[in-house]
Amino acid sequence: MNAGTGRSRRTARTALALVLPLAALAACGGGGGTGTSAEQGSGTGTITVWAHQGQATEATALQNAVKTFNSSQKKIKVELTLIPDTDYTKTITTTDASKLPDVMEFDGPTMANFVYNKKLTAIDDYVSATTMANATDAIKAQGEIDGKHYGLGMYDSGLGVYGNKKLLDAAGVTYPTGLDDAWTAAEFTAAVKKLAAEDADGKSLDLQENNGYASEWGTYGFAPVVWSAGGSLLKNGKAEGVLDTPAVASALKTFQSWKTYTDPNTDGNAFAKGRVALSWVGHWMYPAYGKALGDDLVVLPLPDFGDGPKTGQGSWSWGIGAATKNGKAAGAFLDALLNDTNVTAMTTANGAPPATRSVLAKSPLYKEGGPLQLFADQLAQPCGDSAITTSCVAVTRPVTAGYPTVTAKFSEALASVYGGADPRSALEKAARAIDQDFSDNAGYRIQ
Amino acid sequence: MKTVEPAAATPSGRHRSEGPPPRATGPARPPRRNRDRLHGLLMSAPALVGLIAFVGVPFVYAVVLSFYNVRLGSPLAPTFFGVEQYRRLFTDPDLSGPFLRALLNNLTFAVVVVPLQTGLALALAILLNRKLKAIGLFRSLFFLPVVFPMALVAVVWRLILARSGDGLLNSALHTVSLGNWGAFDWLGDGLTAMASIIVLSVWQGVGFQMVILLAGLQQIPSELYEAARLDRASRWQQFRHVTLPGIRGTLVFVALLTSVLSFRVFDQVYVLVKGGGLDEDATRTVMYQAVTTAFDQNNIGQASAITVVFFLIVVVLTLVQRRVVRSGNED
Repeated sequence: MNAGTGRSRRTARTALALVLPLAALAACGGGGGTGTSAEQGSGTGTITVWAHQGQATEATALQNAVKTFNSSQKKIKVELTLIPDTDYTKTITTTDASKLPDVMEFDGPTMANFVYNKKLTAIDDYVSATTMANATDAIKAQGEIDGKHYGLGMYDSGLGVYGNKKLLDAAGVTYPTGLDDAWTAAEFTAAVKKLAAEDADGKSLDLQENNGYASEWGTYGFAPVVWSAGGSLLKNGKAEGVLDTPAVASALKTFQSWKTYTDPNTDGNAFAKGRVALSWVGHWMYPAYGKALGDDLVVLPLPDFGDGPKTGQGSWSWGIGAATKNGKAAGAFLDALLNDTNVTAMTTANGAPPATRSVLAKSPLYKEGGPLQLFADQLAQPCGDSAITTSCVAVTRPVTAGYPTVTAKFSEALASVYGGADPRSALEKAARAIDQDFSDNAGYRIQ
Repeated sequence: MKTVEPAAATPSGRHRSEGPPPRATGPARPPRRNRDRLHGLLMSAPALVGLIAFVGVPFVYAVVLSFYNVRLGSPLAPTFFGVEQYRRLFTDPDLSGPFLRALLNNLTFAVVVVPLQTGLALALAILLNRKLKAIGLFRSLFFLPVVFPMALVAVVWRLILARSGDGLLNSALHTVSLGNWGAFDWLGDGLTAMASIIVLSVWQGVGFQMVILLAGLQQIPSELYEAARLDRASRWQQFRHVTLPGIRGTLVFVALLTSVLSFRVFDQVYVLVKGGGLDEDATRTVMYQAVTTAFDQNNIGQASAITVVFFLIVVVLTLVQRRVVRSGNED
């Protein structure tokens, strides 16, 4: 502090002289694409595979699939790397395209972004026609951009409302038996209120609040409200006019009104412990709920806000890295991964709806008459991400490289509406922000 | 890194000639002073290099990026944007609203936390600066929250502040008020959301400041207290005239440190927002906005502009604070 000012000024000058060239260097480092392209290759040798490390059972199923594949033939050897779930997408985002593996897993809505920045290549030329034909329409819709497929999944996902039969009957609430007689939003609200009146703490609904709404759960879980109200997150690359319509605003107003009756579910056990009668969540809670409630568990579609009940779909998928030098081998591995044995093992491990026709038809949970047939019925009526009609049910989240902004802005609006904000202005704000982002990025068009 | 040396070795003759006239040691002196200078710079070099590499370069980089439309992982080349990012931050109602609110939230947080946490740390330090049995145990207990990562603390506090009647705080209040307290949404209510964040942050961080102050307290010679007691100084007078002057430097350091740390508040907001029920608008901080803009929405240009503005504000505030503190110190 008591050093002369001349000295400190000189030090500052020295520092500046040191910083500037470095900064210039750093600035040049930005941008600059890598000109990689996939090659067919010989179809033999070692290929690298990246996957997300989810639940332990899923990881085991995958490791077994790789082990079986490696020992079943001598031509191709697969090296599997598991990367923790929470860092997985960021790892791919920040890895240069040329350093990505031959085969990789990715979460459905992130696919378009990886296609956009040339990290994935179309798989149509590499996987067999049989594999492609065996994939369900819903999962194909998730993996398709401009007529080309970039990803196929082993399993899909779906949303529904789980009901506690005992509590529903006790309150005298009648509930739907399938998609055709789904509750309207008003009937759903009435049921929630009637159940709440019978409940000691006045909370009869679980909306998985513990997952937070300003997150992917917000978008995945409640975009069906928007779709069912005749709106959309995005149409022809624009949110204004589809996301902020009066019908969507009024649907979110209804959603907002449920907060009074919603258990915050801090412990994640509100439904399993019988504190609430209804739980709005995905297929993945079935193992826990089925075990807790047994025969008292009923599975219902999400309520209809006017344009038919809708559900989200889409999950982890597999694709081929854009820089692969061995596309043929990568395709052969994907064919093996998507065969009945592996898909059955994986969907038994995580309880998700199988994404191949052959396994879905035989799945004890999802087949005709199975406890989760509703999810299969929903996925059998896919809308894709844009052709949302009153008759289709399973909607894919927008397949666009701008999805990170879409989900961030929509979930932010949803969280603020749930907290008490005016739905109309929150949606308009989100729509403007999404459109601004798309115009800044030339519409995220994929070249 | 080598470039430090020539710059450091540059003779600064003009200044030296202005110094005191050389004594009998004669010509040997200037080279020697020169060498001292060189050694001084060499010794500060590691810190300096770190400062330049981890503060200087990123900041300049951020300034450059903030003038461009840069997206994470976009095949489009970054385009020059001019001051568009800054214009949006300050004039576009959709963007400037949350940003200005975040700035205000940050300031509120700092204004409340700095005196509160410093004061509480001082109180705790004094409380624990005595010869008690098992004093080490008490000290560890109060220091314990500092050891936990903030993310973990936030998860624990989520259970305490849960809005249902089962929330720890709500059920405790329910019991204490003999059933007159209903469930209250601590995190979801705009009025208490920030207060909740403040309470949990202070709880987590106060132990650290306490330890520093405790060290300061133990530097005060006990003779001073003895003398004060002989002069019949009351406990309050001892505190006023012996303790406070004795730890003044430490206290200033702690206050500065706390205010710098309080501008960095991020983890708890991030964890609680993702964990559900937190009023995002009432608790959004600038760091939170910068991180989500950059890594959730891939908008690096915008995030850079946010951090540049924030950096400048924090630097100005720190300079002002230092000036105030220093003038107080030199009285």
